[in-house]
Amino acid sequence: MTATIDARPSRRRGWLRAPKFLLAIPSFIWYVFLFVIPVALVVVNSFGRKIANVPGKVDLGSPNFDRYHEVLSGSFKTLLKQTMFTSLLGTVLCLIISLPVAYFLAFKVGPKAKTAVLALLMVPFFANFLLRTLAWRIVLQPSGFVSNFLQSGHWFTFGQALRSSPLQILDTRSAVQIAIVYNYLPLMIFPLWVALDRVELHLREASKDLGANRVRTFLQVTLPLAGPGIVAGLILVFVPLSGDYVTAALLGGAKGNMIGAEVANQYFKAQDAASGSAIAVSLIISILLVLGVLAACFLFGSKLVKRSRSVKVVL
Amino acid sequence: MTRQSDTTRILISKQAAQRLADSISRRRFLALGGGVAAAAALAACGSSGGGGSTSTSPGGTTAPGGAVDKKLNLYTWAEYDDPDLLKAWGDISLTIFDSNEQAVQKLVTGGGSSGFDMVVPTGPYVPQLAKAGLLEEIDKTKIPNFSNLDSRYTNQPWDLGNKYSVCKNWGTTGWFYDSTVVKTEIKTWSDFIKAAQTEASGQTTVLDAPPDLCGIYFWANGIDWTTEKTEDLDACEKFLVNDFASHIKAFNSYPGVDLTSGSFALSQVFIGDARAGLLGVQEAGEDVSRYKWGIGAPMTELWMDNWCVLKGAKNRDAAYDFINFVLEPANSVKDLNYHGYNTGIVGIEDLAGDIDFKDMVFYTSAAQLATMQSGAVNSAQDRIVKIYSNVKAKAGG
Repeated sequence: MTATIDARPSRRRGWLRAPKFLLAIPSFIWYVFLFVIPVALVVVNSFGRKIANVPGKVDLGSPNFDRYHEVLSGSFKTLLKQTMFTSLLGTVLCLIISLPVAYFLAFKVGPKAKTAVLALLMVPFFANFLLRTLAWRIVLQPSGFVSNFLQSGHWFTFGQALRSSPLQILDTRSAVQIAIVYNYLPLMIFPLWVALDRVELHLREASKDLGANRVRTFLQVTLPLAGPGIVAGLILVFVPLSGDYVTAALLGGAKGNMIGAEVANQYFKAQDAASGSAIAVSLIISILLVLGVLAACFLFGSKLVKRSRSVKVVL
Repeated sequence: MTRQSDTTRILISKQAAQRLADSISRRRFLALGGGVAAAAALAACGSSGGGGSTSTSPGGTTAPGGAVDKKLNLYTWAEYDDPDLLKAWGDISLTIFDSNEQAVQKLVTGGGSSGFDMVVPTGPYVPQLAKAGLLEEIDKTKIPNFSNLDSRYTNQPWDLGNKYSVCKNWGTTGWFYDSTVVKTEIKTWSDFIKAAQTEASGQTTVLDAPPDLCGIYFWANGIDWTTEKTEDLDACEKFLVNDFASHIKAFNSYPGVDLTSGSFALSQVFIGDARAGLLGVQEAGEDVSRYKWGIGAPMTELWMDNWCVLKGAKNRDAAYDFINFVLEPANSVKDLNYHGYNTGIVGIEDLAGDIDFKDMVFYTSAAQLATMQSGAVNSAQDRIVKIYSNVKAKAGG
């Protein structure tokens, strides 16, 4: 967005006209001390090496890329790929589930009911993130109620059991995938809802008046207008999801590990801040790369669409 | 104890803990948490700089007149101290860690100003903490009940003369399995490996602790598990990565309750955790004989968690007073009943009376003790963690 603020002569008194950057100082300090410096330290540490038997210290005597070689050769690379796959799939699933919900919320629900629906979406947040994730262990365990339900016959499945053996989904990547979508869903629904809610009714009506059907209106008017909100939602879900390790640690078992857990592992088990930092930096770079590729695809795609739709007017 | 992250350790206020305890029993809560790596890490985030405790009152030095002001900040494992016993002594605020390495990391980065009075590390980590200048030399004249400890559990190789530590309790490592899946009896670590590769393949868990994971190979093959020899470590890595990793379902330090709920068929366990699993089965009125357990053989681990006083502790005398208090047999037995591990007090076995699964708490014959060996934090530590990381990656791939 390129909004410029006009320089109307201020009617305020002179002493109040402090330089504008002063207002930015609190957030500037915040970012420097709590973001820039810590991340810079992590980056610096990633070039060092662990000092044997001295926990938490990094030897920066001869900075090198050895830690990155370790990360990119061998086990971490597989884990990084799996993490990226889980995150991308999780983000796409969130989008697919959230879009109808947000659409429903923005256009189909009356103002009173809207409050109720929003409240329902918010309520799970009152429970601790950890407990919500732990709850999946109860839901998915082989002797749990879901498993029992699937193994018993019901009238709506004509008395047939849907499964003959207990559900073996806990401690697998599927369990992580399910819980990750569950945990991050609201982060997708809310930006989508806000974006769709901002789409002016007049524009949708105009589209209808000009002969577009519902599908066309959605695809060519509503969706493009909500574009920025969708992108925000995608980033909001994808970035924290890639770094998530709680879900994987609780539900993933050996098969569903995520790279975030490996960072924690390096810091807390290996007491190796150098390797932990290198993995963390690799994760940041991977996320940026994936986002970059996605942004490029998005731009290229929208350009193609625009070109295909452009109408040549010959006079 | 080389417990690692897989556990339900949540740092919450005492009031909240009480409420939680009221609504769900301890076992039920464990059932919720089967494998929890992040719980404590998350909790730890909430308690920056080692605060996060419920007691806010500072100080607590010796009160005038020589009486000790009974206030302590204790840094320990979750579910490890009987709240009633703590209350009986005085005002103790607990802060929880979930692995020795994490505790060490936090204390070292806190530089001694972390505000804790006491920490409860596992034996091999005591030298690391002492070397970093974090531990106070214990003044045993202030702990007369020290003599109540069985001499088998004092003067350990990692802290000769109990200069820095006093035994809280100790335990060992073995296996726990569902005999409807694993039909061949497991008698040694070799049997354990064979069962994991065949009957229980894909349903086996190992402790989420690098030394214990490597221990499976070393114990099975008669190699000292504190080995620093490169060829031993190479062979261990080769075996675990190529022939063992793919059979692992989870890295879980507290699989006992999950195993009895059907999630796993075979687990490497701390014996007390297997006992917790069995107690649950018993409580539910189900058949206990379905689940079998055993202490590792021919060799296995002896881990010991210890009371240590931190350098610069504000409540040092209170700490001594508290250690003395828990070493009182009548109190020690309450502690034992709570966590199910031997507290090493002379005569504790008789005092404990007829508790459930008593053989899972007391395994003190000379023959049994001879098979248990304490771990060590030595030059192989980095390599062992690397092996563990590689096994983990292979298991996930």
